[in-house]
Amino acid sequence: MSIEFLDPTHENDSAEFALAPRLRTLEGAVVAIISNGKKNTIPFFDAFEAELLNQHKVREVVRITKFNYSTPVDASLLNEAERWNALISGIGD
Amino acid sequence: MIEVQQLVSERHVVDDFGAAQEWFHARKWTDGLPVVPPTAELVGACLDWAMLDPQHLIGIEPVRERVLTAEKVAINAVMAGCLPMHFPVVVATLTAMLQEPFVLHGATSSTGGCALLVVINGPVRRELNMDATFNVLGASDRATMVIGRALRLVLYNLLDVRPGEADRSTLGHPGKISYCVSEDEENSPWLPLAEERGSPRFASSVTVMAAGSPRQILNEWTTEPEQILDTFVAEIKANMRHYSIWPGNYALVIPPQLRTHFETAAWSKADIREYVYRNARIFRREWADCGKGAVIADKGDREYAALPSADHLLVIAAGGPAGGFGAVIPPWLGTTSQAVTIAIGTCVDCEI
Repeated sequence: MSIEFLDPTHENDSAEFALAPRLRTLEGAVVAIISNGKKNTIPFFDAFEAELLNQHKVREVVRITKFNYSTPVDASLLNEAERWNALISGIGD
Repeated sequence: MIEVQQLVSERHVVDDFGAAQEWFHARKWTDGLPVVPPTAELVGACLDWAMLDPQHLIGIEPVRERVLTAEKVAINAVMAGCLPMHFPVVVATLTAMLQEPFVLHGATSSTGGCALLVVINGPVRRELNMDATFNVLGASDRATMVIGRALRLVLYNLLDVRPGEADRSTLGHPGKISYCVSEDEENSPWLPLAEERGSPRFASSVTVMAAGSPRQILNEWTTEPEQILDTFVAEIKANMRHYSIWPGNYALVIPPQLRTHFETAAWSKADIREYVYRNARIFRREWADCGKGAVIADKGDREYAALPSADHLLVIAAGGPAGGFGAVIPPWLGTTSQAVTIAIGTCVDCEI
């Protein structure tokens, strides 16, 4: 005998997310990196910052660290977002 | 009465019970165990029992913006084996976990691999035949087992907290199958945990805590409360040395044999909390004894308390009648997540 049952999943009902427009070049751009704040990410993001500056000729790298790596970024950390050309959400452990 | 037409979830049809199981396993909709196929009738019965509209909003997980409706939660509760009478406890527990201090996303996705400990107090324990005695931290009874499992399936299917997806646990622990206990209020001289944490007397309540695995202790060679607690404290200190030094909620599970000694000495839960708060402390330099000397730096003489305050200790009366055992349940990671207690039937965000 057949069984009919209900779907237990969220059925992809979450808000639609879309990719931000891509930058043509990083040269001369202001790029922000939000670190989740774990200690071991520091050397990784240091190296990443150097690569952005030296290889991609980024004008400025803005380093931001979340107050709590388990919660969304505090809105107060995004006050200057209007002057950034790109924002990278950085996760490390 | 909920009409099955009110349920908006997509419907699937398979040939038989065995095919249903394979359907769920193939899609990672279950935890590796069989499930009860969530038919519209069974799901409707849960909603009827709790008097909840299918689209009642239990909450929104804020990081991933996932909506938890009563219908979807009921579907997962049925799958876990819940009867309608279990469903209000599942709803209350999720409501507690969605409170901001609990940090549900972090607690369920962290590499630290904690689980969702649920402690149940009040008359609902008896109504649902919960057993707070033998094997209380194992599979002690039907109700606590299926309620704890329902939470895990909700995480799987509504928040994508599956191993390797949102669940990034390095190890995890067995409590991630089901980690739900009731308190042995009838055989305890103490105030129930929920009442100590502000729930009304005689209300049924849930307390949730992002928790590591239980660490069992044994001391049946003394009747002195201080000496018994020194054994618990030693285990807390071991956790601070071997795992995390940061203060947070700890839980102590104290079975009857040890409770007897506290009762004889007229020690309350508050006395226990105060003693543990004062004594569960280590110096950072102790990390050198266990291979963590590299992170002592210039903080070696700094003292760390296991508890930010005495109130951060959850004392739970539970366990089988014989044996001088007890358990320490450590926090996931300091105060990142804080234990939350609410009464069952409470609508936290409702407008009155």
